[in-house]
Amino acid sequence: MRRIPLVLPLGLILVLLFASTALSQMNVRLRVIQASNVGRAVDPSLRDLHGQLGSLFNFTSYRLLRENDLSLYPGLPASIQARPGRFIEVTLVRQYREDAEVRIRVIREGKDILATMVRLSPGRTVLIGGPRHAEWVIIFALSPARY
Amino acid sequence: MKDSCSSVSRLLEKYFDQEATDKERSLVEDHLAGCLSCQDTLEWMGDFRDSVKTPVKMAVQKEDFERAWQNIRREIQLQEKSSWWKSIQSWLDLPRFFRKKVWVPAVAVVAIFALLTTQVFFEEASEEASYGALPDVEYVDSSYNVMVYAIEKSKITVIWLFEGQEMEAPSS
Repeated sequence: MRRIPLVLPLGLILVLLFASTALSQMNVRLRVIQASNVGRAVDPSLRDLHGQLGSLFNFTSYRLLRENDLSLYPGLPASIQARPGRFIEVTLVRQYREDAEVRIRVIREGKDILATMVRLSPGRTVLIGGPRHAEWVIIFALSPARY
Repeated sequence: MKDSCSSVSRLLEKYFDQEATDKERSLVEDHLAGCLSCQDTLEWMGDFRDSVKTPVKMAVQKEDFERAWQNIRREIQLQEKSSWWKSIQSWLDLPRFFRKKVWVPAVAVVAIFALLTTQVFFEEASEEASYGALPDVEYVDSSYNVMVYAIEKSKITVIWLFEGQEMEAPSS
C-alpha cells in the first residue's frame, strides 16, 4: 500500500513517454529493386508493383535485392545499404493525420547523389531510380507499411 | 479447625464461582459440613452477589435497548454510505501521497505533455488546412539531371536520375 503513491507517478510518466513516442512514429516499407533488360524475370514479391513498373519503364527484368520495414521517428534518419557503397537514408520530417513528409538522401561513394523531400500517404508509392549502370539500374520503392 | 478454615477459605471463592475441581469441591463440602464460620462466609458471598446483581437487573429492565440499537444501526448505515470513498482513499493513500509531494513531477510531466500535444494539435490543424496544396515532391537536389512526375491514378511518384541529355528509362 505504501508503494502505490510512488508507483503511480512513475507508471504515468512511462505511459506518457510511450504514448508520445508511439504517436509520432511511422512505419514505411522500402524495397530495393534492380531493373535491367537482361532476361524477362520479375520477382514474385514485386507482383503488386509489376503493372506500374511495366507501364512506367522499359525494363524487362525486375529483381528484388532487399526489402525492409523501417520504423521512422521524427528527425532520426534510418538508412539501408542498397549495394556496396550505395545507401539510402530516410528521415521522417513531419507527420500529419494520414500523410507524412519524408526526407530522402541517396548516397553513392560517400557523396549525395540525391536529396529530396516527398509526401507519403496511404497507398502512395515513391519510386526513385537511376542513374543507369551498364545493363542495370537501381530503383527504390518507398511506401507506407502495410498493417 | 483454624488451619483448615484458612486453607479452605482460599478455595471457597472458587467453589462459590463453580470453578473448583472435583477434589477441591469435595474438600470444601466436607469442611462446610462441620464449619459454621465458613458456611456464614459462603452465605455472605451469595448475599453480596445478589446485592450487586439486583440493581443491575433493574437498570437493564429500565434501559430502552431498542432505541439504542436504532442509533447504532443509523451510525453503521452512515459509515457504509461513505465507505466506497474511504476505501478508494485508503487504496490510493491520498493524504500521504499529497504530503510527500511525489505527485509534483507527475503533474509537471502531464502539464508539459498536455502543452506539447495541444501545440502539435493546433499546429497540425492550421497546417492541414493548407496541406492539400503541398506537392508530392517538395524539392529535389541532385548532381544529376532529374525528372519528377506523379501519376495520381495509380498513386505513384517517380524521381528519375539520368546523365546528360539521355532520357533513359521511363517510357512515358
